[in-house]
Amino acid sequence: MTIIFTIIKSIFYSLVFPGLLFTAAAGLLLAGIDRKVIARMQKRIGPPIRQPLFDFLKLMGKETIVPRRANRLVFLGAPVVNLISLALIMLFIPVLGFTAFSGSADLIVILYLITISGVALIVGGSSSGSPYAGIGISREMVTMMSYELPFVMILLAVAKKAGGAAGMTFSMDAITAFQRANGSFLFTWSMIPAAIAFLLVIPAEVGMQPFDVAEAETEICEGPLIEYSGAALGLFKLGTAMKMLIMTGLFTALFLGGVSTGMIGLDIILFVIICIVLTVLCMTTVHAVTARLKIEHLFKFFWTFVAGLALVSLVLVWCGL
Amino acid sequence: MAGKITQLMDESAAKSPWLYHINTGSCNGCDIELVACLTPRYDAERFGFKLAGSPRHADIVVVSGPVTSQSKERLIRTLAQVPEPKCVVSIGSCPRSGNVFKGSYSVEGPLEKYVHVDVSVAGCTPKPEAIMEGLYRAAQILTEKRKAMHK
Repeated sequence: MTIIFTIIKSIFYSLVFPGLLFTAAAGLLLAGIDRKVIARMQKRIGPPIRQPLFDFLKLMGKETIVPRRANRLVFLGAPVVNLISLALIMLFIPVLGFTAFSGSADLIVILYLITISGVALIVGGSSSGSPYAGIGISREMVTMMSYELPFVMILLAVAKKAGGAAGMTFSMDAITAFQRANGSFLFTWSMIPAAIAFLLVIPAEVGMQPFDVAEAETEICEGPLIEYSGAALGLFKLGTAMKMLIMTGLFTALFLGGVSTGMIGLDIILFVIICIVLTVLCMTTVHAVTARLKIEHLFKFFWTFVAGLALVSLVLVWCGL
Repeated sequence: MAGKITQLMDESAAKSPWLYHINTGSCNGCDIELVACLTPRYDAERFGFKLAGSPRHADIVVVSGPVTSQSKERLIRTLAQVPEPKCVVSIGSCPRSGNVFKGSYSVEGPLEKYVHVDVSVAGCTPKPEAIMEGLYRAAQILTEKRKAMHK
C-alpha cells in the first residue's frame, strides 16, 4: 500500500507540482514578464504577459519539418530530453519550505541535469546538418565551458559553507537547514561575491542578451535552433522559459534558503515573486542596457571577473570565515 | 477538453505571428518601413509580431521587391521551407506590378505568378500604419488556415 502511495506521489511530484506543469507555467509567466518589462524600458507598450503561452501553443499547432539531412530520431528526441531534464531539476530545488526529493548529493545531480539540457541543444543542433547550427553549437560549447567553471566554484563555496567544520555537504536539505539556523548566505559577507557571480551566471545559463552568442538571432539565425520548426521548436522555447525559473529558483535556494512562511500556498506565491524580482534584476535590466558580446569576450569575462568573484568566496569560506 | 485545446491553438495562431522578410531586389524603402513597424513608435510586438531569423520559424513571409531573375529561385526555395500554416504578404507596388522596374530584362514579377499572395499592401512605399494593418489581417488569415488544416 505504501509503495503504491509513494509511486503516485512521485508521479504527482514530477508531472504536476514542482515538476513539469508548475515549472512550465511559472517559467512562461517569467518569460512574459521579462518581455513586458523590457518593452516598458524601451517605451513600448509591449506584448501581453501571456504572450509566451500564445507562442508555445501556436508552435504546437504548426507543421514540424524534419530536414532530409537530419537524423530523425536524434533531431526530434533532443527537445524531449531537454524538457525532461529541466522538469527533473525542479524536483531537487526547494520551493522555500517544500522539497520534493532530497538526497545527499542534490547539487551534483542539479549540475549534471543542467549540463544535459545544454548537451541536448548541442546534439539536436548538430543533427540538423545546417552550417549555421554548426557555428551555433561550437559557440554553445564555449559558453558552457565559460560559465561552468564559476558555477562549480560557487556550488563548492556554498557546499563548504553549509558543511561547516565537518566538510562539504551537497544536500539541499542541509544547505537550507544551515541557512535557517545561521541566516541566509545572501547576507553573509563572505558569500556576497559568490552571490554576485551567480547572478552573472544566470543570464549565460539561460542564454539571455549579452551572453546569447550561441543563439544570436541577427547573425546566425538562432544557431542550433535554425532548422527546428513546429512542436520541436516549441519544446525548446518552453525549455528556455523553464530554465529562467530553475536558475532563479536555484539562487533562491542557495542564497535565500531558510526563508519560509510555513504554509505551502504562501510559500509558492513568495517563491514565484522572488523569482520574478531576480529575473527583472539580472536578466531584463541587463538585456535592456547591453549589446551582445563576442564569444572570446564572453569567455574572458567569465574566466577572469566572474570566476575571480567566485574564487574570493571560495577562499574566504575555506579559511573558515 | 481536447476540443478546447485545439481551439486555443487555433486562436493563438493569430496572436503570435512571426515574420520572415525576403527582399527580392527591393530598393530598400519598403524594408526600412517594415523595420519602422517594429520600433518603439509603432511597436508591432504588442500584437505578438516578431522578426524571425529562419524561414522554419516563420508564420508570415513578407516579400518586398519586383522579383528579379537572380532572386526568383531563392524566393521559391525559401517559401517552400516555411511550415504550414503560412501567409504571404507583399509590401509595396513592386511585387504587385513591377512598379518602375516593369519591362526590365532582369525582372520576372509579379509575385502572384509564383505564390498565392494573401495580403498585398500597396504604395511606394506604404506607410508603417498600412503595413501594420496588412500584417494584422494576415494574422487573422492564419487562424482561418489553421482551422482549415484539421478539417
